[in-house]
Amino acid sequence: MLKMIGAMLVVTASGFCGLSVAGNYQRRPRELRSLRAALQMLETEISYGATFLPEALRQVAGRCDQATAVLFSEAAAELSRMSGVTAAEAWDKALRKYYPRTALKPGDLAVLQNFGASLGISDRQDQIKHLHLAMEQIDNEAVIADDESARNVKLWRYLGFIGGLLVVLLIY
Amino acid sequence: MGLLHSYHQYVVQNRVSAINDVLPVLPANIRSMLTALPYSFQEKIEEIRLRQGRPLLLGFSNGDVFLCAEGGLTHLINEAYQVTPLDMERVIQLISNSSLYALEEELRNGFITLPGGHRAGITGKAVLDGGKVRTLKYLSGCNIRISREVSGAASIVLPYLLDGNGGIFHTVLVSPPCCGKTTMLRDLIRQVSNGVPELGFHGLTVGVVDERSEIAGCYKGIPQRDVGVRTDVLDGCPKAEGMMMLLRAMSPRVIAADEIGRQEDVEALEEVLNAGVKVIITAHGKSMNELLDRPALGRIIKLKMLERFVILGRSRGVGTLEDVIDGISMQSIGVRKC
Repeated sequence: MLKMIGAMLVVTASGFCGLSVAGNYQRRPRELRSLRAALQMLETEISYGATFLPEALRQVAGRCDQATAVLFSEAAAELSRMSGVTAAEAWDKALRKYYPRTALKPGDLAVLQNFGASLGISDRQDQIKHLHLAMEQIDNEAVIADDESARNVKLWRYLGFIGGLLVVLLIY
Repeated sequence: MGLLHSYHQYVVQNRVSAINDVLPVLPANIRSMLTALPYSFQEKIEEIRLRQGRPLLLGFSNGDVFLCAEGGLTHLINEAYQVTPLDMERVIQLISNSSLYALEEELRNGFITLPGGHRAGITGKAVLDGGKVRTLKYLSGCNIRISREVSGAASIVLPYLLDGNGGIFHTVLVSPPCCGKTTMLRDLIRQVSNGVPELGFHGLTVGVVDERSEIAGCYKGIPQRDVGVRTDVLDGCPKAEGMMMLLRAMSPRVIAADEIGRQEDVEALEEVLNAGVKVIITAHGKSMNELLDRPALGRIIKLKMLERFVILGRSRGVGTLEDVIDGISMQSIGVRKC
């Protein structure tokens, strides 16, 4: 009886591990798309509205997906505090808070960090160029992420449970 | 004496808060160096000059002095704190609210107005477009000027400017640079706009064309300086165009503008004078003769269209009232020297 319960636990645990990995594969393309949409909104604020950066970030945070909003609202809050940080530093700080909660990969983080380094320091045309670059890179990543998701989601969903069963059989 | 005393007190109070306005746009290390200075110094700072790779300078009314890296002030260059590229980058970001892209017009003019109406002048490399400055890049120099609001600065001249029928005369404030012309103009606008019950003078609607954001110190369009309750401000608008816009749109009784000199400014001014609206303007110059030599302005002075000339100097400190001249007779009305 005890063995049965143990076996059940092993199977459920590894099953959930597999599901969570699969979930990450599923989440990443969604998050990348949401980020891209947010950057698009930021572009509109910068190019047409000429809105000041803290306000522009807040506006974007108010309109985009909740998970992505954290990044923008954190950066806006840090800038509004006028504690003497640059936009790049505020963005980095927000990224540190945002990134661990997402399914994004280190490569995606690097894209966002590179983009942050140019935030707010140049004229409009230059800002738009940097925004376009970041959006393009995110688009590329999103295509790859879609592909990976299609290949890996099913695999990991089953792999978790099957792996668990395998362990159980080996120990039994 | 009482007036003078309260004036000085006001200046002191105003400056302390003024430096607090400016501190948030400085990087944390420079901020702490400044706050470590005794209050008596902090409140006298008029300018903070940062030039990349060169010493940080604090400007006072009687000269400038370097800020020491270890805190304190010095006159020795080798003890002075050198402004690093990182400092410069931070200052530019903080001044611009990390939004240089939103300040293209301001960069073209070479300065950014800060909250509180203070101004940061900026230098760098100009980017040209068809022979005109499109923007600045490689920003490497910055001068933060702490602006003063001297309430009551215009009290001594106002009695000379009232026409006795509830209106004012067309007035020109004349002085060399840095003699308190704009400060005087701002307070004059405030008093004309609010009215002065002691003189039996009710306020008049004033329209201000603030081409360089110096008079009202607008931040996002809202005056940061007290310019009176009946005052409309057109911020950042070219003077000639702005005067016409105000004239047509806001039906002011008085139009005020800073530094009239160019031909098109004077043409617009003539239009305003003909419309029966009173004007308060300022002009660079030391004396009446200098003004008369100015091609555009001299012409309308000779036509006796302007009624009062207030000559300012610094013979007894900044903003000394040297003389008030009647524009019709070209004679001094006689200022009691105090």
